[in-house]
Amino acid sequence: MEKKYMVISGPNLNLLGTRKVSIYGEGSLEDIHEGLRKRADELGVQVDCFQFNSEGDIIDCLQKATGNYAGVIINAGALAHYSYALRSAIGSMLVPCVEVFISNVHAREEFRHKSVIAPVCVGVIGGFGKKSYILALEALVNLENK
Amino acid sequence: MEGRRVAVIHGPNLNMLGKREIGIYGGKTMDQINQEIQTEAAKLKVELSFFQSNSEGGLVDYIHSCAGRIDGIVLNAGAYTHYSVALRDAIGAVKIPTVEVHISNIYKREIFRHTSLIAPVCIGQVCGFGSHSYILGLRALMEEKFDPWLV
Repeated sequence: MEKKYMVISGPNLNLLGTRKVSIYGEGSLEDIHEGLRKRADELGVQVDCFQFNSEGDIIDCLQKATGNYAGVIINAGALAHYSYALRSAIGSMLVPCVEVFISNVHAREEFRHKSVIAPVCVGVIGGFGKKSYILALEALVNLENK
Repeated sequence: MEGRRVAVIHGPNLNMLGKREIGIYGGKTMDQINQEIQTEAAKLKVELSFFQSNSEGGLVDYIHSCAGRIDGIVLNAGAYTHYSVALRDAIGAVKIPTVEVHISNIYKREIFRHTSLIAPVCIGQVCGFGSHSYILGLRALMEEKFDPWLV
């Protein structure tokens, strides 16, 4: 049975390609999901992609990860910087989580420099556009193969 | 992206990899990690240059020397990440797309490691995946263009 990975994008990421294109790029979230499915295929794994604007919905989703998925990729959007509830949800999981960002958050406003979820993730990948997600999938699959 | 020239730069104490704090940094030596990166580079048809220095000035000199002959940099600046304004200025000066990598997840460690002075002048950051962070960093550099991500 193929390994399955959960991909979650947080608030406002459904608007990708339509807002602040200079920061977030022209591609839509569906383009990102399409790219992930293609790469997953090459790696012999599966991805299930989700997007939620609500913090509680993300937590509900994360709570289904353990036992059902081999790992989680999360772009928590702005929630990365202040959601202790997300941090607790990730910290409670028994599968690895990778944090991703589309933009280089360190080159932006100071409030974006701190991620409250980074310490409970295996690692962080940010700044490479939609490629951040692809690299995160490669990172998770590599962890599994170790 | 065939024929792209990439410099892999290791900062202070990374020559001690595999010999110190194995619990944090893993058991692989720097040479073994360089070998892994070389294998990936061969697949990507990228030409690599490797450099390691314990000296901040040595790293600054080397980064300057990359101007005009190197298309991308994978940089693990070690502890200098967290306080070297000179290194930040060197990266900013040469304007070569640079990816910051770390073996460990720096955000799981001491608070002084949570700040990276070089992150704002890099295109992005990869941390926490052991030696695989370098491989992912190299792949990140293979994009056709970095705009609009390159701030």
